[in-house]
Amino acid sequence: MIVSLSSLALGVIVGYLGQRSRMCSIGGLRDYVLVRDTGLLRGAAALLVTAWVAFAVVRLISTSDMGHGLIAAGTTPSGLRAVVAIAVGAVVLGFVATLSGACPLRQHVLAGQGRVGAWSFLAGFYLAAIVYTSWISPSIGSWVL
Amino acid sequence: MTAGTATHERERVQADIGRRLGRWSRSAVVYGVVVALLAVIVGQWLDVSPPAAYGLCSACHGRDLTDWIVNHAEGKNLFVTAAGAGWPLLTVVGLVIGSFLAARRNGEYASINLGGNVRQFAFGAVVMGAALFVGGCPTRIIIRTGYGDLAGLLALGGVAAGIVMATLSMRWVARR
Repeated sequence: MIVSLSSLALGVIVGYLGQRSRMCSIGGLRDYVLVRDTGLLRGAAALLVTAWVAFAVVRLISTSDMGHGLIAAGTTPSGLRAVVAIAVGAVVLGFVATLSGACPLRQHVLAGQGRVGAWSFLAGFYLAAIVYTSWISPSIGSWVL
Repeated sequence: MTAGTATHERERVQADIGRRLGRWSRSAVVYGVVVALLAVIVGQWLDVSPPAAYGLCSACHGRDLTDWIVNHAEGKNLFVTAAGAGWPLLTVVGLVIGSFLAARRNGEYASINLGGNVRQFAFGAVVMGAALFVGGCPTRIIIRTGYGDLAGLLALGGVAAGIVMATLSMRWVARR
């Protein structure tokens, strides 16, 4: 109950701010490489720094132990094979997301303001989610979230 | 000084605050600070956990929502994280609603078809597969790196390399 309400409220606030600021977590670096514009890159840096500081504050005031380091469900990714797999997957993610024009969060925002291409992006996105968890993830082992 | 001028003064101050809030909401830095704080608060105290640092992610929350729907409608047993197993995570629905409200309120809502929809469909499928493989959409990768996750830092470096490669190759193709 609480999880549905809080995630819906978070989504509405992030969607509103994302539409106003045109923020995109891959757009910052793309704009910097293309035209040396640092506006969106500063937004991504603010996201990283604020998350870092906020998690440090939460670790200070929280009574429960949050743990450090790797986050994993099931088996922990370890070894050179996992490092190479994550690096290659991340390069593919950055490459294809840049070709599609925006990061997944920005595509949701574009869909909300009426971009037809974003709706077809989201159709492929959610179809792939079902395909991935049905067939691909069981065969490679769900060692990352 | 009469009551009329005082009311006028207050209206002027309110209009000033409204304009200032409107300007702040267009700043990417304000977006970064507010979104990171909200994601940490929601992930830590408002039940969107475990796993850790799960406050905001468009790929993982979308996966949880679609798998939750498939599980409940078809009786399957697809993977859903502990946070989204009981009640569904509605972050992705909220994103579209919030963006729609902002676009309507500021007169920016327009149905635009730029073409290339089949290509966008394929890009969406590849992006979802890669995002679930490395553990989150680019926004959650940043939040995970802030949490102190080394896999998140590695994924952030990989995504940055992918963005630079894609941007330079797009520019190379455009200049040929």
